[in-house]
Amino acid sequence: MTRARTTTAGAAAAEPAGNGLDRRYRFFGGKGGVGKTTCAAGAAIVAAERRHRVLVVSTDPAHSLGDALGVRLGAAPRRIPVRGELRAAELDADRALVAWMKMRRPMLGTIAERGTYLDREDIGRFLGLSLPGVDELIGLLALSQLAGDRPYDDVVVDTAPTGHTLRLLEMPDTLRRIASVLDDMQAKHRFLAASLGGGHRTDAADRLIDEIARDGKALAGLLRDPARCAFAWVLVPERLALEEARDGVRHLDEAGIRVAEIVVNRVTAPTPGCPLCAARAETEAQVVDEIVAAFGDRVVRFLPAEEREPRGIVALRRLGRRLAGRAARPTRRRGRRRPGRAPVTPPTATVPAWLDALVPPGVRLCLVGGKGGVGKSTSAAAIALAIARRDPQHRVLLLSTDPAHSLGDVFGARVGDDETRIPGAPDNLRVREHDANRAWERRRDRYRDAVDRAFTTVLRRGGVDVTFDRTVVRELLELAPPGLDELFGLLAVVHALFRGEQPWDTVVVDTAPTGHTLRLLRMPGTALEWVQALLATILKYRAVIGLGDFAADLVDVSRDLRRLDEVLSDPARTRFIVVTRAAELPRRETERLLDSLRRLDVPAPVIVVNAVTRARGLDGRRSACRRCAQAARVEAREIRALRRGRRAHVFTAPLVAPPPAGVAGLEAWSPSWRPEPER
Amino acid sequence: MIILDTLLWGGIRFVLTKIVDAVDSELNDEDRLREELLAAQMRFELGEITDAQFAEIERVVLARLREIREERIGATPKPGEFKVTGIEATTWSDEGEDDDRGRGRR
Repeated sequence: MTRARTTTAGAAAAEPAGNGLDRRYRFFGGKGGVGKTTCAAGAAIVAAERRHRVLVVSTDPAHSLGDALGVRLGAAPRRIPVRGELRAAELDADRALVAWMKMRRPMLGTIAERGTYLDREDIGRFLGLSLPGVDELIGLLALSQLAGDRPYDDVVVDTAPTGHTLRLLEMPDTLRRIASVLDDMQAKHRFLAASLGGGHRTDAADRLIDEIARDGKALAGLLRDPARCAFAWVLVPERLALEEARDGVRHLDEAGIRVAEIVVNRVTAPTPGCPLCAARAETEAQVVDEIVAAFGDRVVRFLPAEEREPRGIVALRRLGRRLAGRAARPTRRRGRRRPGRAPVTPPTATVPAWLDALVPPGVRLCLVGGKGGVGKSTSAAAIALAIARRDPQHRVLLLSTDPAHSLGDVFGARVGDDETRIPGAPDNLRVREHDANRAWERRRDRYRDAVDRAFTTVLRRGGVDVTFDRTVVRELLELAPPGLDELFGLLAVVHALFRGEQPWDTVVVDTAPTGHTLRLLRMPGTALEWVQALLATILKYRAVIGLGDFAADLVDVSRDLRRLDEVLSDPARTRFIVVTRAAELPRRETERLLDSLRRLDVPAPVIVVNAVTRARGLDGRRSACRRCAQAARVEAREIRALRRGRRAHVFTAPLVAPPPAGVAGLEAWSPSWRPEPER
Repeated sequence: MIILDTLLWGGIRFVLTKIVDAVDSELNDEDRLREELLAAQMRFELGEITDAQFAEIERVVLARLREIREERIGATPKPGEFKVTGIEATTWSDEGEDDDRGRGRR
């Protein structure tokens, strides 16, 4: 830890555990695969060895903290054998929500019963459903509770990749808004109690509302207090990571959360005589210049690329010490020239030989997923281009459902929420970066009018005073549902496959990193439960509120979800292409992802191992330095381990510098993908 | 004259009111039928009614809707599609009825 301690270990030991909000929090955030977990673990080890009592926690639903530390972790903090006191845990949001709800469910039911026309049965139906965005909703609360269980000095947080961490950090405000809706419900009860002459006495319901509002406020205060909360943004010296860092840091600044430190991880040292390493170093140097220009007002630290992935206490301690050391720029290389683009073959645009094996004709839904930072967006773009080239009549949509989009950066073109034509790409391909917030706002605005109409009808029919109810429903509509990115991402996929004026022949989805993609794939089931609960409730109160557009929408959504469920498990129409890298942490996460896909019955017959070191570059030049040879050996071992006991076909895509970008760059790169020979 | 005028005007007004009422009730009837069909869709999605039960409700509702339209415009609409509160409904001529049944559901 770089900051001085403010309490002595002895004095702090006497403190009661408290609510954990008085600890010092250090968040490590950034794009997937940049080394957040190793940085967090390294920082935690060094802090513990400096006599701090440290808790390191992962909030990424696809945890890899245990893999990095080389121990099996769970939701309960486990002691890590280092000098000093270090405990580590991987947050289990589902379990945390169950525990939270167990104590509060009856009271939430009472508030809803008092404040709405719903009866116990309806409310029980909704309260019993699972919540899609539970990681974000409960993550910070569970984290602070965990931190409060023991007298820690420091809490180091290994977060989920960018998009979902930004959602997590929005949650204190969401908690306050939930409290506000509940308070509106309770207001009706208070008013009635007062009108009936009894007056209202503060009861358990009021206390629960206060508690939620207080928690929201306290967590918001914690995140915005630089004395208690430090945020380090981790990136690698690559263009996509830099673009994501700019967006992410801007978002955090706007939210009042200060990012004081930028960690540039895996900086390649120059190796004389190796064209691949030289090209990488040159590309990186250019990005490093831009990083310094963009974040010069903050502490920028550089960590060198290591031959072996840092794993285990010794390697992580070394990394942690570097992280705690003096911030210094890597030495500038002499004789640097500006890197050229990737060797670009003239765009004769042939269809790559691997395409039919990877995505046979007839596949309608091609999901490209994997751990963050493995090259999902680049691979998805190459695959979508190839499918579009195969048949000019075949309409292909490349859709990003990752809230931290990269497709625009991959193509070097402006891509937004509308289906966009990319210059140089075939005319039958369109690209879209889905904007879940916009989709939500559109629906919300439509329903707001419907709600007003419904209340007017109720007033006309019964003359009931509905002032309170109208406020409740309006506020509910303002409250974005948790799991918004997955829910609306899924609806966008459904729309592209089945609806619109002309449904797309194939939809290639560039998905969010593993944890949230699994959530997206579980979403049809979860969403269907919600849709059915809503349908049942509307039918029950049909005589009072009528049916209307909302009910018709729900019927459509219900049908589409069932259709999607059928398509998702049909190997002839759906393929999940798992992208990974040949290193231990991505390999372990890939193995867990493949197991989860099998349990979900989603066909995943192909793995693309990206960025493998090959002896010859795309231009035919030989990369024969010691580091490349060592990297190739490690990668070959990891690929063998990945294939062990699996039937999936493995394709490899070569590491090139600079990374493939733009239509021409992607189409020069993709023909070099090749199948790994079956043993 | 005044009496005659009053009677005459009263008579015309009576007839006009009746026509307006009849149109209103037809329109309301159409709305009601659309809602019935939507409610049946909802029940079907919830698994409360079977495919066959839904098809029967759909057949009855669509036939009644067609009758109302025929009565109103005095001619059979050409086979084609019209939107019924979020449901793509299809009208069909009698000879093709059996073949087309159920096309309302997607």
